[in-house]
Amino acid sequence: MKERYNIILAGVGGQGLLTLGRILGNAAIIAGEEITIAETHGLSQRGGSLIVQIRIGPGESPMIPRGAAHLIIGLEALETGRQIVYANENTKIVMNEFLWPPPLALYPDINQIIEKIRERGLKLYVFNANKLSEELTGSIISANVALLGYTMAIDDELSKRISIEQVDKALEKVFRGKVLEMNRRVLWRAYEEGGKNK
Amino acid sequence: MSGVRSLVAMKHVGVNVAADILMSSGYAGTNAGFIVVSADDPGQHSSQNEQDNRWYGLISHIPVVYPSSPRDAYKLVKEAYKLSEKYGHPVIFRSTTRISHTRQIIQLEEKIPFEKKCKGKFDRNIEKWVLVPAHGRKQKKRMMRVWKTIMEEEGRPPFITVYNPGRRRAIIADGIAFSHVAEAVEMMGKRDEFTLVKVNLPVPLPYKPIVEALKDAKEALIVEELDPVLELQVKKILYDNGLSIDLHGKDIVPENGELDLDTVYKSLKEFMGEPVTTPWKPMKPLELTPKIPPRPPVMCPGCPHRNTFFIVKVAANKARLKNPVFTGDIGCYTLGYQAPFYTQMTSLEMGGSIGVAHGLSKVTDEPVIAVIGDSTFYHAGIPGSINIIYNKGHAVVLILDNYYTAMTGHQPHPGTGKTAMGEETYRVPIEKIMEALGYKTYVINPMNVKESINKVAEAFEEYKKGAPVAIVSRMKCALEALRDARKLGIKLPVYTILEDKCTGCMACVNPIACPAIMVPKGSNKPVIIAELCAGCGLCAQVCPFNAIVLKEPGSPDWIKAWY
Ligand SMILES: Cc1ncc(C[n+]2csc(CCOP(=O)(O)OP(=O)(O)O)c2C)c(N)n1
Repeated sequence: MKERYNIILAGVGGQGLLTLGRILGNAAIIAGEEITIAETHGLSQRGGSLIVQIRIGPGESPMIPRGAAHLIIGLEALETGRQIVYANENTKIVMNEFLWPPPLALYPDINQIIEKIRERGLKLYVFNANKLSEELTGSIISANVALLGYTMAIDDELSKRISIEQVDKALEKVFRGKVLEMNRRVLWRAYEEGGKNK
Repeated sequence: MSGVRSLVAMKHVGVNVAADILMSSGYAGTNAGFIVVSADDPGQHSSQNEQDNRWYGLISHIPVVYPSSPRDAYKLVKEAYKLSEKYGHPVIFRSTTRISHTRQIIQLEEKIPFEKKCKGKFDRNIEKWVLVPAHGRKQKKRMMRVWKTIMEEEGRPPFITVYNPGRRRAIIADGIAFSHVAEAVEMMGKRDEFTLVKVNLPVPLPYKPIVEALKDAKEALIVEELDPVLELQVKKILYDNGLSIDLHGKDIVPENGELDLDTVYKSLKEFMGEPVTTPWKPMKPLELTPKIPPRPPVMCPGCPHRNTFFIVKVAANKARLKNPVFTGDIGCYTLGYQAPFYTQMTSLEMGGSIGVAHGLSKVTDEPVIAVIGDSTFYHAGIPGSINIIYNKGHAVVLILDNYYTAMTGHQPHPGTGKTAMGEETYRVPIEKIMEALGYKTYVINPMNVKESINKVAEAFEEYKKGAPVAIVSRMKCALEALRDARKLGIKLPVYTILEDKCTGCMACVNPIACPAIMVPKGSNKPVIIAELCAGCGLCAQVCPFNAIVLKEPGSPDWIKAWY
């Protein structure tokens, strides 16, 4: 059996993680790859920790063991740091340059998180997906798609299984009209950015 | 009853509420396929408990079909209907959070039939539907015949599948546990070393394939999530068939929480008597100062519950209602149990806020406020409200009307004005219900903070004098307001904090805990994250220095999005 490719999406409820999962799911259908996408919903609609576990390749068990992620895509810095337990020494991490603290809490700053992840010898890519989304759409709403576009450029293992063109096609299944066009622009611009930083 | 196929869906605890009719439906049987779909929540991702509903099959004598993956669920629903129609008996279709919240590619085997049969004729079979004792005794015999026949005859794929019979070691696993087992033995490269039994009909467990799988085995492990439902049945089967093997289950496999590949891998290692190691090497958590704070679920920016809780607490002070007990219920407002609100001190069952408040008002002298959401009120709060007033309890009933069943995904309820199928209908006003019962009823709009504080304080004064008091707090769920604003092309106002006017007093931070307000690293003055602000204006109304002002005023008619 081919090894399954394990991706952890980490972030905060409301950042569009579930949508990212749906995009990758549709892209996998187009690519003819098996996939499972496990969404963990907490008690709140917005603002709680959220992870989505994606496994590409044949197999039915939907959960990724700690230490078995090939790729972590983090839409928020604290959540990326929290999910580091899913990483091993070869895991790639793509993190949004954005820290959103929970209310009334003390928290470490983003530079400290970046430093500590790098100290572990992990491959960490930091990209300001919020900024790119804001530039192109006037809001941070497409930061999720931006981070995916960036990731597609830097992670060959992922793009071996699902190509950027297939992700582009998958956007059609998830968005429509103006929103679709907007997300397309974000995807490709972020892909370009990723290509520069590979 | 009328020959039309049916399906009812609820979460695991929903079956508790439906337990009365569930028991009767096993006795009565059915005239067309009938499936009770219910998802358990191992690991308690979002529930009050992790009860194992396979027990419901045993107590009600209703077979339980339990898929191993979403794809399996697609196939097995059809099989469950066939089973139901073959025996004229209901079938419980058990899922779990993990299966219900996993996406997988499913190839449809056929087109969904275009012609649906949604109309039938009531079968006037009194013996079947009127469970007086004489009829019930007869029906019980029918039910037990069905039960035994299923145990005898249905031990076949896709309900029970035996791979590699005759090995020395066997593993029996049901539902999603089987998916973990399959991947674990594959990873170990030992798929062929075990007899594997995939169970998708755990209750009642058909004995033939189990005997077949275990008759040559020396050792067996049962892998199942939560309670030893398979284990008890397998042990009985072994005894009844004179088999004695070394059988393991809950002595190795955890009985609390959710199983996953990692736990199952370790369980198999232990079963095999090998060192319990796994192929994956997890990183240790990062050492950071301060540590990464937990991020518990919180109320959204603009959530009406935040306003209401703030108002109620200030009003209680104002009316000198000392240290009230807030009995609580289940919904987004349950999150009020946390700092800084503490306006939920119990949360046990749907509708429990009111019954518990009634009881506490009888056995303590503390003021009691029952806090219940609108959806929960319509479904489970009305009998309790009658009970308090009729049987002379003394508790304030506070109903949080946000137009929707928010926590579970904005399903409509009788206050929404939409039927369950999404058609327009009228709204049942909660205040009319409470007035009809005899409550002195106050309605507030918590977006208007000062006015609401005054009204609620007045209500508390009345309560202190002994009057039965109800408060309805009505403001739309912020997520729906945002959605409606988008739909209507409305721009909502956005607030900002003027740095020169802000004294850093934290009045907009500590008592309201809005996720859109943060204190940046190294600063002692809060800022509003404009992207997250829903424009409810609570912070601006509580700021003692008028330092919170509109950044963007929004469309002139922005308030429409909130009604
Ligand atoms: C017996 C039972 N049935 C269903 C549920 C699922 N459930 C959780 S919250 C909720 C209703 C929440 O609606 P509402 O009371 O209007 O509060 P809101 O979330 O809108 O604040 C339901 C049905 C449950 N927890 N227990």
